[in-house]
Amino acid sequence: MIQHGGFVVFEVRRRRQTKKNITEDLAGYLFMTPTILVMGTFVVLPILYAVYLSLHKVKLLGGIEYDFIGFRNFTRLVDDERVWIALWNTVQYVIIVVPTQTILALILAVTLNSGIRGRNWWRILYFLPTVTSSAVLALIFMWIYNTDGLLNDFLTFLGLPTYNWLGDPQVALKGIMLMNIWSTAPFYMVIYLAALQDIPQTLYEAAELDGANNWQKFIYVTVPLLKPVTFFVIAMGIIGTFQLFDQSYIFSRGTGGPNNSTLTVVLLIYQAVFRNLQIGYASAIAFLLAFLIITISLIQRRFLGSDKPYS
Amino acid sequence: MLKFIGIALTIALSIISCHSLPIPSNYTSSQVVNIKLSGWGASPSEQKLLKQVLQNFETQHPNIQVKYEEISDQYMDVMKTRLIGEAAPDVFYLDALEAPFLMSQGVLEPLEQYITPEFDSSDFEVKLLESFKYKNQIYGFPKDYSTLALFYNKKAFALENLSNPPATWDELRTYSQQLTIERQQDGRISQYGFGEIPELARQVYKIKAFGGQVVDDQGYAAFASEAALKGLQLVIDQYQKDRSSVQKSDVGTNSASEMFGQGKVAMTIEGNWAIPFLNDSFPNLEFATAELPRINDVKGTMVFTVAYVMNKQAKHKAEAWQLISYLTGKEGMEKWTGTGFALPSRKSIAQKLGYNQDILRSALVAGVDYATTWQVGKYPAEIMNNFDNQFISVMLGQQPLKQAMERSQAVANKQIKAME
Repeated sequence: MIQHGGFVVFEVRRRRQTKKNITEDLAGYLFMTPTILVMGTFVVLPILYAVYLSLHKVKLLGGIEYDFIGFRNFTRLVDDERVWIALWNTVQYVIIVVPTQTILALILAVTLNSGIRGRNWWRILYFLPTVTSSAVLALIFMWIYNTDGLLNDFLTFLGLPTYNWLGDPQVALKGIMLMNIWSTAPFYMVIYLAALQDIPQTLYEAAELDGANNWQKFIYVTVPLLKPVTFFVIAMGIIGTFQLFDQSYIFSRGTGGPNNSTLTVVLLIYQAVFRNLQIGYASAIAFLLAFLIITISLIQRRFLGSDKPYS
Repeated sequence: MLKFIGIALTIALSIISCHSLPIPSNYTSSQVVNIKLSGWGASPSEQKLLKQVLQNFETQHPNIQVKYEEISDQYMDVMKTRLIGEAAPDVFYLDALEAPFLMSQGVLEPLEQYITPEFDSSDFEVKLLESFKYKNQIYGFPKDYSTLALFYNKKAFALENLSNPPATWDELRTYSQQLTIERQQDGRISQYGFGEIPELARQVYKIKAFGGQVVDDQGYAAFASEAALKGLQLVIDQYQKDRSSVQKSDVGTNSASEMFGQGKVAMTIEGNWAIPFLNDSFPNLEFATAELPRINDVKGTMVFTVAYVMNKQAKHKAEAWQLISYLTGKEGMEKWTGTGFALPSRKSIAQKLGYNQDILRSALVAGVDYATTWQVGKYPAEIMNNFDNQFISVMLGQQPLKQAMERSQAVANKQIKAME
């Protein structure tokens, strides 16, 4: 559900090639060998192989055969209606889930940080859904979303209209959104909470001396100082939501239904590989997704980028 | 550091090499052969029955040991992946729906050569055996089958003074309206007339009744023809205009038998699998079965069948055939179908077990003669998914039937073309 990733910063410095430096470099690479080997085998090689696959039509059953077809897998992407439906669903999902969960996480963190009694208990309580496996959550929510389920009972109690959450294409994806916001927001809340405790108290005191009220302190001190964390939260959120798979897989039993309303890009990749045995085409879709995530991350870096607040 | 890596490597290598060495105990007891068998998960009692049948086989063939492995979810996805990875079992279940694709890919062993006269392959229902033939070769023998029949709630019928099950689809619709009842005056309907499953697997006979077809001779989708639409319109009209039918999720259930068992619908169309389920889960339910109502004055129903097939890569083919021929042979099939979980695909066993006299099962058995086999060409997933997706949106009134079917047919055919 949440993709934890690390940012590795390589600092490349040009040095003069002296003998001492060469041995130093060698020692450095020696220390890195385990990582390079593991990353190479499990990250770099699969990527290269995916490039190779995406340019081929692969026959998998009854003896593997590769048939070079150039960029035909990619041109097929443009033509495939389901790719666009999946993309649109995924984008919709990202646009709604990422801001909501970020804002919710921030609000939860700030309220917790404001000195509520039994803060640790609240923190544990909030964090529980994140600890639960997403597959289990999806199954529990399928009960809640049942037409005779808890949510509809609650809505009737409030006198609101009820929905067929799992069967109606109009609301099926919204159901997954709701569940995911509920379960991921607390994870980012914990990150925000840690960052909030890092903000020096002196800044708030200074703001108070300038006559700022609580709201102004939040908007002009807290939010800007949290900017680097917000960048991280949004970046991780976008990557995680673009890779939505397990929930929609469980909700729709792998079909992406009803009426393609829960079809996501990763689910489409899964279907292409395991259902239709078209690994070449699946690689092409995977590259489309990778391209999308990279582009959005770069754009976002432009806007939220730098690590320094008030820049 | 290096020393440590060296030691670790040695340990790892020795473990790996030991693992691939033949285990000596295998060879001591006079060449016992292991046969791997896979199927999908079923109810615990059905699972127990299969274990018993396999045990009987093992006592008769002491040189063969059967290792049964159940694949509980996404059976075909798992099976295809294992076939590619050359890790597939020697013998496995294959649904008729998926058979054309696997048979065309050359991953199954043709079984013609193994058949002995005493196996008596002419005893099988021809229609069922046909499903596993490809280019004049037989690739599997059906282990059992089920057709669809109309299940109706006797109490609900008696309350409305209905004595006979509907014989035509028009009758079914008038009955449904009569049986759609609001018991408490709260605006919520407590019992609907008919429980509908809007999936292609349950609609093909309606398409056929007017002369339509699901796939054409080349295996492309063809369900948007005028004739096919006529059949499908019946479902839509009942759901939207009469409002006397519901889908399973409308009433918060997971299957047609569940909504029927809970009394949310008075009639539904289900197969043999529903009988043990209803008896187990709803012992107080009084229900009966009947042949499906005629549509356009044509009798029709679906038949679903599953066969045992052999992996082409199987190492011990002779022993694998022994297993298949026992399980689908007269003795094994009688044991397997004797308790009523499934209907026997051999005519002689059907006669022996007397299912054509059974009150609940006679309607199912009668259907096999005029039933349509649930098989839609080499690319069932494309045809099914596109149909089901669009058909649901028609049910919900989001688009007209003709437009939806034409669209899904076009999309399905585009996908099939890209795969060929």
